[in-house]
Order: sequence, then C-alpha cells, then structure tokens
Amino acid sequence: MAASDDQERHALVALRDVSKRYGSVVALDGVTATVDGRAIGLLGANGAGKSTLMRVMLGLAAPDSGHVRVLGMDVADSPWDVRRRLGYMPEHDCLPMGMTARDFVVHMGELRGLPRRVAVLRASEVLFQVGLEEERSRLIRTFSVGMKQRTNLAQAIVHSPRLVVLDEPTNGLDPAGRDEMLALVRRLSARLGIAVLMSSHVLEDIARTCDSVIVLRAGKVSAIQPVVPVRPDAGGDVRVRVEGDRDAFVRMLGGDVLSELDGDWVLVRGGGPAVQRAVRDAAVTAGVGLLELRPAAPTLAESLVEAMG
Amino acid sequence: MSTDAQVIDGDDARVIDVAFTRYDGPRAGRLQALWSLARWSSLRALGARRSWKAKVIPIALTLLAFAPALVILGARALFGTSSVTANLVKGLPYGNYAATVSIIILVYSVIITPELLCPDRRDRTLSLYFSTAISPGDYLAGKVLAAVLPLLLITLAPPLTLYAGNMVFAVHPLGYLFGHDRDLPRIVGSALIVTTFYALVGLAISSLTSRRAFAVGGYLAFLVVPTLIGGVLSHALNMRFLRLLALAPAPIRAGQGLFPNYSDPGNIGPWVWGATTVEVAVVAIVVLIVRYRGEQV
Repeated sequence: MAASDDQERHALVALRDVSKRYGSVVALDGVTATVDGRAIGLLGANGAGKSTLMRVMLGLAAPDSGHVRVLGMDVADSPWDVRRRLGYMPEHDCLPMGMTARDFVVHMGELRGLPRRVAVLRASEVLFQVGLEEERSRLIRTFSVGMKQRTNLAQAIVHSPRLVVLDEPTNGLDPAGRDEMLALVRRLSARLGIAVLMSSHVLEDIARTCDSVIVLRAGKVSAIQPVVPVRPDAGGDVRVRVEGDRDAFVRMLGGDVLSELDGDWVLVRGGGPAVQRAVRDAAVTAGVGLLELRPAAPTLAESLVEAMG
Repeated sequence: MSTDAQVIDGDDARVIDVAFTRYDGPRAGRLQALWSLARWSSLRALGARRSWKAKVIPIALTLLAFAPALVILGARALFGTSSVTANLVKGLPYGNYAATVSIIILVYSVIITPELLCPDRRDRTLSLYFSTAISPGDYLAGKVLAAVLPLLLITLAPPLTLYAGNMVFAVHPLGYLFGHDRDLPRIVGSALIVTTFYALVGLAISSLTSRRAFAVGGYLAFLVVPTLIGGVLSHALNMRFLRLLALAPAPIRAGQGLFPNYSDPGNIGPWVWGATTVEVAVVAIVVLIVRYRGEQV
C-alpha cells in the first residue's frame, strides 16, 4: 500500500501513516493508502473512521501524525487550495432553505473561486446534469429529500473539481431516490470526468458506483481491492449445495469432474459452462434439489464484510 | 470540455442534454469568497429574491430614513430660500440626522442582522461554507460587511443626500462645498460609528441563537431595556452617569461628538459615549469570535 513519492504526488489522494485521536478514541490509526482511479469507495461500519478521514483530506481536521496529499498538494501546507479544488457533499442536511437552487449553486461556485459569470453559467449546467433544470428557481425548502440531495451534489461539482468527496450520498433516500443518486454518482466518474471518493456503510452502493474500494475497520485500512462483478460463467471452482442424497449427487458427477465434500457443500473443481451443465445433469439424475451454486472463492461481498469486521 | 450536447433541429426541437464543460480558468482567492458571502447575505437580508413581505419592511424603513432629507430638500425646491426652509435646514443639522432617525436605525438593524446569521445556523449551512476556502474569520468578516452595507443605506446615504441637496440649492454650490468641506468626513465618520456598533451588537446577539425571534428579542432587550432603565433611574435619582446605561443612543452621541456645537442633555461628553460604544463593540467582537472559533464541518 505504500507508494513512492512520485506516485503520491500524482495520486488523487495519498495518505501516509495518518493517525487521529479524539480524546481516548482512536479515529484513524496509521492509515496509509494511495487513492487513484475514477470512482473509489470508502467502506466501513459506523465509527470506522470514514468521516474523520474525509475531514482530514479536506484539511478540516489536522492529523496527529502522518502526511496527507490531495491532488498533489500537501493538505497541511495549503488547505485553502485543496478545498477550492475539491468538491464536498456532506452527509447531513446543510442547504439554506430560503434560497433557490440556482442562487445557492451560484453562491457556492463563487465561494470556491469561480468568477461570477462563470458561476452563473456552470450553475445552469450542473443543475441540468442532476436533473433539476426545471426546478432551479424554486426555494430549496419546497424540495423533496431526493431533490435536496441532488442540489447538494450540484453544489459539490459546480466549480469543476477533479475530485469530489461524497459522504453517504444515499442517506435518507427512498429506493427510487437512491437509484437515481447512485446513477448520478456513476455518471460523474463515467461521463463527466470527475473522480469520485464516496463513503458508505452500504456495500451495494459501493459495488454499483465504484471501481475500487478502501475498507476501514476501527480506524485502520483493512482492505483495498478492485470492485469486480462476479460473472456466473466465469472460470474457477464452484460450490454446490443440494437437498437430498448428496453422495449420489457426487457419484453422478462422475470421474470427469473432480469433486469433494466440504461441510454442507460440494466443492467442484474447475468452472465454466461445461461444469455448470455437469452439475445440472448430475442433480437431475441423482434426484436431488439444487439449492445453491456459487463460486468457491469468496465473493466481493464476503471478502468486504470480513474486512469490515 | 466534453462534447455530449445533442440538439434536434426542426419545429419540435428540444434540448436533451446540456454540455458539461470543465473549467480550467483562474480561481479567485478568499477575498472574492468573502465578498460573495457579504453580497448574497445582504441582498437576502434586504428581501431580494424573496416574497414581497420580506421586502416591504426594509424598503419602508429606508424611505422613512430618507424622509427628513427629502422633506427639507422638497421644501427648498418649492419655497426657495424662504425663512421656512431656512428654519427647516437649521432644525436638522447633519450631526442630528442619526438621532432624528434613531428608532428607524434600531428597527432596521433588528430586522437585518438576525437574518444574516440565524438561518445559516438553523439550516446547518455553516458546515458547508467551512468546507470551502473560507475560514470562520472570513465568514465573520463577510457577515459584518453584509450588515454594514445595508445599514449604511440608512445611516450614511440620507445625510449625504441632504448635503448634496443643500449644495445644489445653495446660491453658490461650490461656495457651499468649500464652506462645509469639513462636514463630509464628519457625516461619514458619524455614520460609520453608528453602523459598526449596531452591526456588531446585532450580529453578536444573533450568533447566540438559531431562532430569529429570539435574536430580535435579545437585541431589543439588550439595547432598549437598559436605555429605559437608565433614563428613568438617572432622572429619579439625579445621577447622570446612569444615563450611560443607555446603550442604544451611545454610538449616536459619540457620532455627534464629531460635529461642532455638540450638546448632551446629561452633560456627558462625547468621549465618554465613545468609550461606551467601543467597549460594547469590543465585547460584541469577542462574543462573535468565541462563538465561531470552534465551528467546523
């Protein structure tokens, strides 16, 4: 996980041995990670240190030890420059209820260094991108939770940041709103060219929007791995769980397919369509019910849940 | 710059996507952020982009603050240099303008200053502001500016209008300008004293609550109640120093001290009022700093 100085300078975020305590509580404990790519998830249970890590990246909390570089800038040396170039969407409600969406986004653009004319132009663009072009002149207090979250996202990207930090962007949303928000987050990195660092304690949100994930556990990085969807027809051993005469099922698999018992499971060596067909045929011939067929290697969910503790 | 804009030509043309451009131009510093904060805040406090109800009171109070100047100038326009207009002009010297509209200044600041701070705390927008390039110090500076600018509209603009009108209606305008050249810095100085005091006190009290109504009540209690008590006690006990409890007129008296022919009903000198004004303003600054020092996302 340690990166060279050159890698750190070019990475979106580079953390080296970052620690932070609040009294007796250790929020971050020697976190070292280099964040690069288009969409990175920050996964961890509540209290794992996700929000503290984001605050440290934004220069809002000084680490007790360690170094943080964001977009090649040392956060300790130039917190203002970092904040001007980063986008940030907080987790909680923080929108001024008495302003229109357009005015608010223009205002936030100006606060992040855009000239007024540019801020006005870009506010229209980002409100279109988040689907609020028709509602831009409405007061935020009249918005639904989903529309408020989209306004919050618009203010985070109005100044054209290279990296936007999203803190639990799906919090409080209903299923439809959550789907829309996740699609928007994916769109940021896939189409608009804005790298995303998104924190969540919901694995599915990360899996749907991110290319890689950093897992935090009790203030430490417990895993960094790519998010790769598992294809059912991919090669590799599979595990099968059947209902009925398991020995008969293994016998029917025959000598062409190497199999062994593993607790309640039958471990079938090899993979791909041929093995899946053999499993299906053996189940039919042995008269057993096929309860579950899955890759033998731990899935992304299993490995991340284990890393989260 | 991305190129994902698509437009269909023809009668049924509609925009189905707006280009999302990247901005790689110059970025302004914290000074612009501070100015942006001040401008948006003061416009909102004055009712801009809000319902007509939010606009009525600031506009009405502004017109009332201008009323004495407009009455005098109107009379001069109608009646020329008659004895009536001469008495009117003498009756309202520049030094007494703030005292004449003191109630309006008080009500105006009661309306403006809570609107600048309370909504940010209530809506938790502070955390968002501090995640940008502005610090709590910048935020406070922006809000003080946001309070000062609208207040100058009623403390500085009306006497300046009166001055300009008197000059225009004078027999020799240039002669008036040179003859009263010292009045201009006095008018500006007096307005700045009054404005800064009311802005700081209003903001300090507003910083203590997220509820606008509480801020208004606290502001009135802090300025009006001691003024009434001080007035009554000093009269009843014949102890003139008790008049110093009157915090509301303190900056106005201090401002009057910049003009010649200063007089005070309690024979309290302008420097005493000035010291009271400075003390209260310093306390207000300390309250603001303490209140926002620990604010973060």
